[in-house]
Amino acid sequence: MRLFLTDTAIGAFAVDENGNVVLKVVAPNDINKLVERSLSIENDVPTEEFKKLVNDLITTYGKDLEVVVETEGYAKYLNELGLKTTLQFGNDVILRFRSELPKYAVESGFISSSEEYKNFVHMLALAVTRSKLRVVAQKRDLLAIQAIRAIDDIDKVFNLFASRLREWYSIHFPELDDLVKEHVDYARIVSEIGSREDINEKNLRKLGFSEGRAKRIISAAERSLGAELSEYDIEPIQTLANIMLELNNLRDGLTQYLSSLMKEVAPNITELVGPLLGARLLSLAGSLETLAKLPASTIQVLGAEKALFRALRTGGKPPKHGVIFQYPEIHKAPRWQRGKIARSLATKLAIAAKADYFTGRFIADKLKKALEERINEIKTLYAKPPPKTAKPERRRTQKTRK
Amino acid sequence: MAEAVRVYEYSPYKDVYVVELDDGSTRLATKNLVPGRRVYDEWLFKFGDVEYREWNTYRSKLAAALLKGIKELSICRGDKVLYLGAGSGTTASHVSDIVGLEGRVYAVEFAPRVMRELITVAEERINLIPILADARFPHRYRYLVETVDGIYCDVAQPEQASLVILNAKYFLKSGGYLYLAIKARSIDVTKEPDEIYRREIETLKRGGFEVIDVIHLDPFDKDHAMVYAKYVR
Ligand SMILES: C[S@@+](CC[C@H](N)C(=O)[O-])C[C@H]1O[C@@H](n2cnc3c(N)ncnc32)[C@H](O)[C@@H]1O
Repeated sequence: MRLFLTDTAIGAFAVDENGNVVLKVVAPNDINKLVERSLSIENDVPTEEFKKLVNDLITTYGKDLEVVVETEGYAKYLNELGLKTTLQFGNDVILRFRSELPKYAVESGFISSSEEYKNFVHMLALAVTRSKLRVVAQKRDLLAIQAIRAIDDIDKVFNLFASRLREWYSIHFPELDDLVKEHVDYARIVSEIGSREDINEKNLRKLGFSEGRAKRIISAAERSLGAELSEYDIEPIQTLANIMLELNNLRDGLTQYLSSLMKEVAPNITELVGPLLGARLLSLAGSLETLAKLPASTIQVLGAEKALFRALRTGGKPPKHGVIFQYPEIHKAPRWQRGKIARSLATKLAIAAKADYFTGRFIADKLKKALEERINEIKTLYAKPPPKTAKPERRRTQKTRK
Repeated sequence: MAEAVRVYEYSPYKDVYVVELDDGSTRLATKNLVPGRRVYDEWLFKFGDVEYREWNTYRSKLAAALLKGIKELSICRGDKVLYLGAGSGTTASHVSDIVGLEGRVYAVEFAPRVMRELITVAEERINLIPILADARFPHRYRYLVETVDGIYCDVAQPEQASLVILNAKYFLKSGGYLYLAIKARSIDVTKEPDEIYRREIETLKRGGFEVIDVIHLDPFDKDHAMVYAKYVR
């Protein structure tokens, strides 16, 4: 007896040369189990259902059964059981069987109608794909965390260098400190021009300064009270400025890298708060998994641990927000609205993190919309600051009403 | 959403439409399976009660092939199609529009990044079945894919023809069709495109395909041709 064995999304089947199903073991219709066995088939490892099928076949037909399978892993398993096994793919018998897969799904009682089969394959494929995507994304959250920490390190070093540069170059051209507030612009002037005597409209315009600002810088240079410095003394200052500019390039590159990484690792969080803040949340939690398991109340104060513990120790007010304060809608809002917006954002973030970690579903568009609505609501409901003496006042008005 | 002035089927192709706008310009389009939703940055058009989705000939090689007059569009309503190299779903979504709710598109894509985008398209389209897998190993998705009426392949990889043949052995019915986009430049930069087409076509023939038409896609796509073939088991 020659039988064709195949393991499918709905279970394992044995088909004879005429295409009749002689035996089958239907899989339980439970999504987690279905995903698990799908992955097993993909990795060429026989499933429980397949093993049971083979077992039943041996009981019924004995060991001089001849079987045909499509992959090496399955062939190996059957060989080890001592069955005469042929490896052959794309044969007509299986092809015919495969074209009737929806029909067999109904016939075997796996589902009740072929209409339902449509939903079934769709749902299973989505679930399997999401689960594989999550495995691929594994540890990529750690890459994102290192990238954001590197960006934050760069910012610290950059600011440290910026203060040093300003102090140092001010010996030569003290007036520039107030005229150019942007560190990068300041560093460019030092790096590209150097001595204040070489500053002219042409090279300033080339660095992107407007005509007005260029004129102001030039006239300040002409009347500067700073010390004359030789090239020999300016050069080391320029080296520092060069390194700052390189750090700045490195930061840009890292930011770009981080944003594509974050879209992959945590698309929902990223959509909600952007890649930088999203990655800072991951970094504070330690991993996507940890973040996904934190309650919203903790997410709200992530990064404000010091203030939180101080509050716990002294019985003072707990902080209203941690790192999520960086979210523009929070730090731009008036003080009394911030806590409310922070709470709402933290709730959405908790949901987003769970979706990113557990299901891989993209739900951020809905979350974002709900958040925006809530923010608008907060802005209208709490448009005015709460009166400081609200309680006694209210009591008084109530009394007069009575 | 723009209003269309006139809509007619783009004969001889079924379920592909020409949408005429009030400035006199025309667009290729399919009926939107999920009204109100777009997949890439395509236009949506309303005509009567029906919504059409612009089919961008610069973004989709199949659309370009139709506009360049490829012999037939065998992809029909109700068809099961195996789509290899689905990318983020640009063309696959139009195939999904064409086969409709009675059909199915098994969309194989192996890059996780791209799959994340494809999955958001698939979530809205019940006939689009996303499969994160390498098309060189069809046995890995044999448990899910039915026997199909046709294969559409655009993986932009060397040895596309042999990959197609392997998939055909597993899933393509006898008499089934194939559309294969050949990206000449990415297969071998040093050889002239025409020689590469010839070599891939030779491989297809040896693998049981009868090549019916080959269409160069320029000016829409300068480095590609579309091969249309039938499979005889
Ligand atoms: C040119 S793009 C496809 C564009 C798409 N067909 C469209 O028109 O909308 C090629 C895709 O094939 C995928 N790909 C390449 N080799 C593959 C393989 N061996 N298996 C599955 N997908 C592959 C790439 O990741 C890429 O997304």
